[in-house]
Amino acid sequence: MYQLKPMTLRVQRIRQKYRTTKPRIDINRYRLVTEFYMQNPQLTGILKRAKNLRNLFENMPVLINEDEVIVGWQGTSYRCCALYPETSFNWFMKELRADNIRERSVDPYDIDPEDEKYLLETGDFWSKNSMSAITDEYIPRYYRDKLDGNGSVCFSAHDNCESPVGHFVANFWTATQKGFGAIREEALAKLQKLEEEGIYGDSIYKYNFYRAVDIVCEGIIHWSERYAAEALRQAEACADPERKKELLEMADCLNWIMKNPCRNFHDAVQCIYLYQLALCMDGQLHGISYGRVDQYLGRYYDQDIANGTITPEYAQELMDLFYLKVAECNKIWSEGATKSGPGYTSGQLMTLGGVDRDGNDATNAVTYMMLQASGRLVLHDPPQALRIHEGTPDELWEAAIETTKIAGGVPTFESDKVIIKALMKRGIPLEDARNYCLNGCVEPSVGGYEWAQPGGTGTESYLNIANAFLMAINNGYAFTGGEARQFGPATGFLYDMQSMDEVLAAVKTAFDFFCKWQCSCINAWESMSAFHNPLPLLSATLEGCMENGKDCQAGGAKYNSTGNSCIGLGNVADSLNIIDYCCFREKLCTTRELYDALMHNWEGYEELRQKINGIVPRYGNGNAEADKYVDFTASTYANAINSATGPRGNHFAAGCYPVTANVLFGYMTWATPDGRKSGEPLTDGISNVQGMDKNGPVSFLNSVLNFDQSLYGNGTLCNMKFHPTALKGADGLMKLRSIMETYFEEGGMELQLNIVSSDTLRDAQKHPENYKDLVVRVAGFSAYFVEVFKGCQDDLIRRTEMNL
Amino acid sequence: MDEKNLVGRIYDIQGFSVQDGPGIRTTAFLKGCPLRCPWCHSPESQAFYPQLSWVSMRCQGTALCESRCIKACAKGAIEPAEQREDAKTGEMLQMIHVKRDICDNCGDCARVCYPKALYLCGEDYTVEKLAQRLLQDKKFYARSGGGVTISGGEALSQADFTVAILKRMKAEGIHTALDTTGFAPWETLARTLPWTDLYLYDLKHMDSEKHKQVIGVPNETILDNARKLAAAGKKLQVRIPVIPMFNNDVENIRATAQFCRELGEAVTVVQLLPYHNLGVAKYLRISDKPVAEATPPSDAQMQKLKAVMEEAGLNVTIH
Repeated sequence: MYQLKPMTLRVQRIRQKYRTTKPRIDINRYRLVTEFYMQNPQLTGILKRAKNLRNLFENMPVLINEDEVIVGWQGTSYRCCALYPETSFNWFMKELRADNIRERSVDPYDIDPEDEKYLLETGDFWSKNSMSAITDEYIPRYYRDKLDGNGSVCFSAHDNCESPVGHFVANFWTATQKGFGAIREEALAKLQKLEEEGIYGDSIYKYNFYRAVDIVCEGIIHWSERYAAEALRQAEACADPERKKELLEMADCLNWIMKNPCRNFHDAVQCIYLYQLALCMDGQLHGISYGRVDQYLGRYYDQDIANGTITPEYAQELMDLFYLKVAECNKIWSEGATKSGPGYTSGQLMTLGGVDRDGNDATNAVTYMMLQASGRLVLHDPPQALRIHEGTPDELWEAAIETTKIAGGVPTFESDKVIIKALMKRGIPLEDARNYCLNGCVEPSVGGYEWAQPGGTGTESYLNIANAFLMAINNGYAFTGGEARQFGPATGFLYDMQSMDEVLAAVKTAFDFFCKWQCSCINAWESMSAFHNPLPLLSATLEGCMENGKDCQAGGAKYNSTGNSCIGLGNVADSLNIIDYCCFREKLCTTRELYDALMHNWEGYEELRQKINGIVPRYGNGNAEADKYVDFTASTYANAINSATGPRGNHFAAGCYPVTANVLFGYMTWATPDGRKSGEPLTDGISNVQGMDKNGPVSFLNSVLNFDQSLYGNGTLCNMKFHPTALKGADGLMKLRSIMETYFEEGGMELQLNIVSSDTLRDAQKHPENYKDLVVRVAGFSAYFVEVFKGCQDDLIRRTEMNL
Repeated sequence: MDEKNLVGRIYDIQGFSVQDGPGIRTTAFLKGCPLRCPWCHSPESQAFYPQLSWVSMRCQGTALCESRCIKACAKGAIEPAEQREDAKTGEMLQMIHVKRDICDNCGDCARVCYPKALYLCGEDYTVEKLAQRLLQDKKFYARSGGGVTISGGEALSQADFTVAILKRMKAEGIHTALDTTGFAPWETLARTLPWTDLYLYDLKHMDSEKHKQVIGVPNETILDNARKLAAAGKKLQVRIPVIPMFNNDVENIRATAQFCRELGEAVTVVQLLPYHNLGVAKYLRISDKPVAEATPPSDAQMQKLKAVMEEAGLNVTIH
């Protein structure tokens, strides 16, 4: 029987602090970056980013809080967030001026009045100096002039890419086993050689790259040493001999790591945390993931245990302290963007379990320690993804299912079989594919080896295929209820279409068109991001970059791809089936009537809507006939995306994981033939229309298995909500496990579970004070239920509860 | 008649049915039962004919559908009744009432009730149609050690159909279970022997007089059939609904344990199923008659009964 071990007192204290501290905005990073950019207009490209980062390493405050052993922070107060104005800042200034930051409905932040004043004085500098402003200028002409506001592709004429999500994984093996001292040596040697030989041809780009690597390696080593000095300072002033000893050990660790290979478990934990934090401080924090944490740490743990230099209890405490630091990380987004990822989530996903490069089970002691940390701390962040394969140990299955019950949806369950196949389809050899991890929400990539850019530009990387579908049956005009504008190709009107073949041809034309513009705009962003916003600190470890002398965004990594995600798969699949069923097969209505019903947002067509919701067979019930069009929809979108290419010579990769953008995009989507009214949420992940699966989990999964998920190299997301009685006893656990195993065996990629009743969630809405620690799976991340906005809470409740 | 085209009457098919035998199963519930257990939590399973059911939670109010059901009923069996508050909007919805003395279960109203607040419970399936439905879930059976369960009502009351579907499932290599009251002639039960891997077998009371008094039939046939199944080398999962004021006394449980012991190796497990009143709402779907309700047995009492059975050396679970 799986059991949670007790937490130490200081872990409990920090957790308490974590749950009771309201996040606040800290302007240290903002001030340093703003001054640096204002004072250095002559600096551009990779050197600007490298020197900007070194400036942060040299001047950011170093904070070691009481009780902490694993240290590093990006501000001066507990649970504060830094600002990233060089990405985008108009949204922030708008909310600041509207006095919206402190009191907004989703993820409010405190802010010091003095800091606010400084921000108001300087913030407008960024309106023409951010990546967002630069991207706006490079939006392709046709798109800018003709497609702004189309509702399917989210790029617009201005304020693009407000929240690009990092979604990369550094090579933590290199960071821990080689160290930045050695990487720097390598860069210096390359520089010297080029200087000796002459910097001819395109080696000038390599030369610039190695210069940047030298600067950031020196910077991160220095940063770590500043933390060591602070630990020493505190040690000298410390009266408690225990803590003093600990601070001295911390100083020793911080002086050593970064420059040198890690010596032990403590070194390695501190090293991956501090390196990740540095990447976050350089980039955008959100969605930058950790990859296979158990694989980085396992060897150090085993070695320390064998040497007798660590106890399992202390190692677990270090793990807990590490997790609490990661949980503390958060980043303010615009209120709109927050609605797609609410709950102060930072999406620093960790991967555990799975097979190693040779195909053997990779589970180790740290795998279990990671689940212990999530379970006993009841943390929604960091999110965790458990890789499942034939040889996943029974004990790990049990630990994972018990953890997901406590920390709603942590971990998620991922199919090695299907994901490795999907990665191989996008050209990655077997051994490296086996070493995959998950990024952000559910996006597979070869962590440390690939620049997968799965999150792309953030919100703009989500394609609203429900709106693309609506334009397909409306001759390219957007459905708005008001004056219509033609965006898409003239595909004809539904009421003129004589057969399903005509409808499907129209949908394919529209999908191809919007996918084309989707990928073209992302490429436009990348062309600018690669120049203005390179990531030398990431490229320093990422396999291939040092060898090729190229930043990851310039194509230096061993593997490359660009991710995308669609939203509304279930709506389109059902809508197509409904057109077929109602208009062509069963003649419940004419295409004209259905078209008019949509135009009127179903008003005056309630009987038809009820028929559609009541008697038409729907996706999600294991009914092959009703599921007929899910494969068409899924493959039409995926093929269009997968055939697009990016500037690194890479392919795009299709995905289907909406975070909570299905709610957000729903607000902006007119009525659809599946009975959905204008403004209602779109479908969640690869699921059916909310509440339409009435035959239980087996039938639901049978439906979902009707399309080829291996076309989705950027991941699929499948939420299931089970009533707690579903997991009663050892028997329930075994049954849940076998349902997942079968799903994976048959081609399912990912499953995430909420084991909570709708009644509990409704009660939590009414009495949030009683449910402060209720963690639920939202989408690609989990959150404290009471901290997500009402629309998202309602969506969670609406999801079908699989009862027994 | 061709076995594939035999017709059975089904009132429900449940996938991921995890209480009806080992592993992940899909259970087909056949309609109609010769017993009348007062605690029955599936009252819609009792009658052999299709019955009009009404679920208030699904009714969206007569304003929205313009009283389609009332208009569709030629007999005037549906009338407006009380109002219900919509959980989502707080709006008051006009509900309906079915006059059971007039309704003849023709289903005209159900055909126009698209949200299926009104529906005809009981649908005829051919063996092949049911087989296709059960086979859909086949890939989920094997790994979990699950399969198909044929339940009721009393499946043996539709013996030809039951035998045919069990046979069809066995031909597909699927594990089969038959959930039965045991109340059928041995000749009928014997027909299932070659096609049934496991019997889920109800034992309600060891005192035949009391059995007859409460359920309507004596228990001799049931006990006798259990012995014969055991003698035929079949496995039994014995199920005892624990009903307050009826069979929850230690004496009866001890006697039942003794009986199970006598069946020897045949009994793989004894499941104690504590009475619950969740079925009460289901009665209101098909009738206006008041239903007897009891207090569910306490955990402590269940544990005590479990201990009594375990004393007899049986493998016991509480569900």
